[in-house]
Amino acid sequence: MTNILELREKLRDFYGKYEIYVVTGGKFILALVAFWLINSNMGYMEKLDNPAVVLLLALLCAFLPINGSVVMGALLILLHLWSLSIEVCLVAVGLFLLMFFMYYKFAPKNGYSTIITPIMCHFKLPQAIPVSMGLVREPSAYLSMVCGIITFYYVKGVQENIANFAAVDDNEKISQVTMALELLIKNYEMFVVIAAVCITAMTVYVIRRMNINHAWRIAGIVGNFIELVILVIGYILLGNGKEIPWIIGGIVLSVIVSLIFEFFLYNLDYSRVEHVQFEDDEYYYYVKAVPKVYMTEKNKKVKQITPKKDRFSRRELAEELDIDQDLLD
Amino acid sequence: MLNEERICIMTRMASYEAGEGKEDMPVKQYYRKDYVSYQMIRTLISSTISFGILFLFWGMYSMEKIMEQLAEMDLIQFGISILIKYVIFVVVYQVIAVIVYNRKYTKATAGMKKYHADIKRVIKLQEKEEKLQPAEEWE
Repeated sequence: MTNILELREKLRDFYGKYEIYVVTGGKFILALVAFWLINSNMGYMEKLDNPAVVLLLALLCAFLPINGSVVMGALLILLHLWSLSIEVCLVAVGLFLLMFFMYYKFAPKNGYSTIITPIMCHFKLPQAIPVSMGLVREPSAYLSMVCGIITFYYVKGVQENIANFAAVDDNEKISQVTMALELLIKNYEMFVVIAAVCITAMTVYVIRRMNINHAWRIAGIVGNFIELVILVIGYILLGNGKEIPWIIGGIVLSVIVSLIFEFFLYNLDYSRVEHVQFEDDEYYYYVKAVPKVYMTEKNKKVKQITPKKDRFSRRELAEELDIDQDLLD
Repeated sequence: MLNEERICIMTRMASYEAGEGKEDMPVKQYYRKDYVSYQMIRTLISSTISFGILFLFWGMYSMEKIMEQLAEMDLIQFGISILIKYVIFVVVYQVIAVIVYNRKYTKATAGMKKYHADIKRVIKLQEKEEKLQPAEEWE
């Protein structure tokens, strides 16, 4: 345990020293993965389907705020959809505008979760997100996960029904819009996932703010359990039982991530809890103070105060004292 | 001579100016009422656009159904029902806007209060230093 605590302090120090590089690198990797997934899964516009484009855009996004990556990702999706079918693209434009006007206008600081959620959805592990979000963010941030999920399922739906959208017959254009909207309205799997993430994140948030010992640990356990139950029941009702191993895998990942978050951001020592009472003119205060587990880094430095040569020879000592050498015998 | 205390405060101020201050300063250009009203007007526009998009989506999705019922439909009644939905939608968003932007204003006020306190302290420290300086030179 001591070693892990030391490692935590070292990692914190490292982050403190090299924050700018860590954040820029993180943004670059996120943008790279997101754009690469968009290109490899959609790739309808051949000009954009090029690793150099992905690399360049990701490099650019590394130096922009994270919302830059979100906008760039949305533009990339729109361009690919544009070359597939204008109607599908227009529905996506409407969708993104709705997300912007109805949510991001009020809560613009949720770029990371907006990008990470669809990436995790692609790897079939969106279960890892809501518990972490519940632990570290406020409820206003949770809708960003919903936006990410909707975008992912829309793109996935287009991909699965590509034969219908590739038709160029003018008479079918309105039905293409209807079909595109149906991808959202009749996608029950999407609704199950949205319900699961929202309920989980809210539960975790409520429990972690309770005045109980080990609030974060309990919140993580209960949140993961609730998510598992909702998703398993939902997928069974949808008749899609083969996804259940993935759900369990996602929950295992979620447990690991929540433990890591707890270790880095919470980690209290309940053996040293102090209860304090005091009062002022208006209130009586009952305060519970829980100390954080903190380990100072082993930083052994041997500082030499005395000169290296600590033994004088007889002759030097005699010279120093200005006496005869023989007197020192 | 470098004054460490002054440097600390000035560093804190610079970091605030580069970070949260960038958002707080434009907010504090207005009085609370003006700021919230301005944001409510902006929200009214954005919520109208949102409702328009949602209405368009709904219209396109249920085009066939609407066409079939068009002959029997009471258009005035239909218009009123849509207007009611629009008003409810807009009112909900106005309430959200009031809550969100009031909070933002309160946060900006707290941030700027600290910032102004820091400015005052820096000025005082500077004055103190200036008073001391001629005496030092005299010696």
